[in-house]
Amino acid sequence: MGRAKIKRGSTNVDMTAMCDVAFLLLSFFILTTKFKPEEAIEVIPPSSVSSKAATDKDAFKVSINKDGQVFIDMSEEMRGDVIKELAKERNLTFSPEDVKYFEQATFVGGPISQLNQFDRLNSEQIKATKLSGIPVDSANNELQAWISAAVQANLGTKINFYIKGDNSSKFPAFKAVIDAFKKNDIYKYNLVTNAEDVPEGTELYRKNILGEMGK
Amino acid sequence: MAEMEVKSGGGHKKGPGVKKGKKLSTRVDLTPMVDLGFLLITFFIFTTTMSQPTSMNLAMPKDTDKPDEINKVKESGSLTLMLGKGNTIYYYFGNDPATMQTTGYKDLRKIILDKKKITPADDLFIIIKPDKDATYKNAVDVLDEMSINVINRYAMVDPTADEYSKIQATEKASGIQ
Repeated sequence: MGRAKIKRGSTNVDMTAMCDVAFLLLSFFILTTKFKPEEAIEVIPPSSVSSKAATDKDAFKVSINKDGQVFIDMSEEMRGDVIKELAKERNLTFSPEDVKYFEQATFVGGPISQLNQFDRLNSEQIKATKLSGIPVDSANNELQAWISAAVQANLGTKINFYIKGDNSSKFPAFKAVIDAFKKNDIYKYNLVTNAEDVPEGTELYRKNILGEMGK
Repeated sequence: MAEMEVKSGGGHKKGPGVKKGKKLSTRVDLTPMVDLGFLLITFFIFTTTMSQPTSMNLAMPKDTDKPDEINKVKESGSLTLMLGKGNTIYYYFGNDPATMQTTGYKDLRKIILDKKKITPADDLFIIIKPDKDATYKNAVDVLDEMSINVINRYAMVDPTADEYSKIQATEKASGIQ
């Protein structure tokens, strides 16, 4: 008669299923992640409690860097129309090649007179050159012309105007941008910011909680 | 550690002279692979949520010269915040810039809330006047403070020449560069 054998359970767990799940999620996140495109203009926006996401669709974005220089950048699908409209308004002619280069350029970094030259630069050359920014002074307000062209080119569709300013840019630069918009009778803008939590105990915090409970 | 499964004891004995066919297990320990997988997942989860910029709405009033289109603000309900150099705020109640006081961004919320408490909701109006030396961050911070404290009536305008010179004088006196 032998003793009853004590069954020893193995401590090895089959990891295959877990591994499957992990890599499924991993591939999902890799595919959905959109890495921030490397920007030639360095702008660090301030943070706000606003939680509305900024979209890229029909966007017309004005960036202000820390030296107060102004740059614009718009969604790809409207670039072609905008430059044609700008040419019409300013009595300029752009060759089809110029238009093609403009559509590929990431942003507008200088006065209109240097536009064609600027559009032909690649990203490394842009980094190496000193950008002059779009003139916004009252004598030669080209930003106003760009905005007007964007509005004219997109009649009927709502353009989202974004203003992305750097933390340390001075207020007059921002005011100049606002003034250019105001001259085109545009009074509503979206300021691009980084998300920040609503401070606890404040009125908005309570309001948000009440809002969530009411849902 | 790839584990080998060795059958212990039992099994049928092969005849003498017959070589034992060693059977290697095909099971591999997947733990490090899972670790790596989850590490990468956490990385991607964090990078996706962080790079999402948000936007804040800003509506500016239309510039007008017609006196009947100008919004009237009750003196008892107005609070003027002037944003100056070096993250300082100068504020006064009503329309007397002479009573201007200095504060910083930390105490701003308390000032706004105190004013809000003692003023009827319809009368409260906050006037934000960033001067030439204020930064864009200052302006956004104050606008943000408006939404944090649920102030519905506020406007952003330029300081008057009088106010600006007063700010300059105060800044000079307190040595703010």
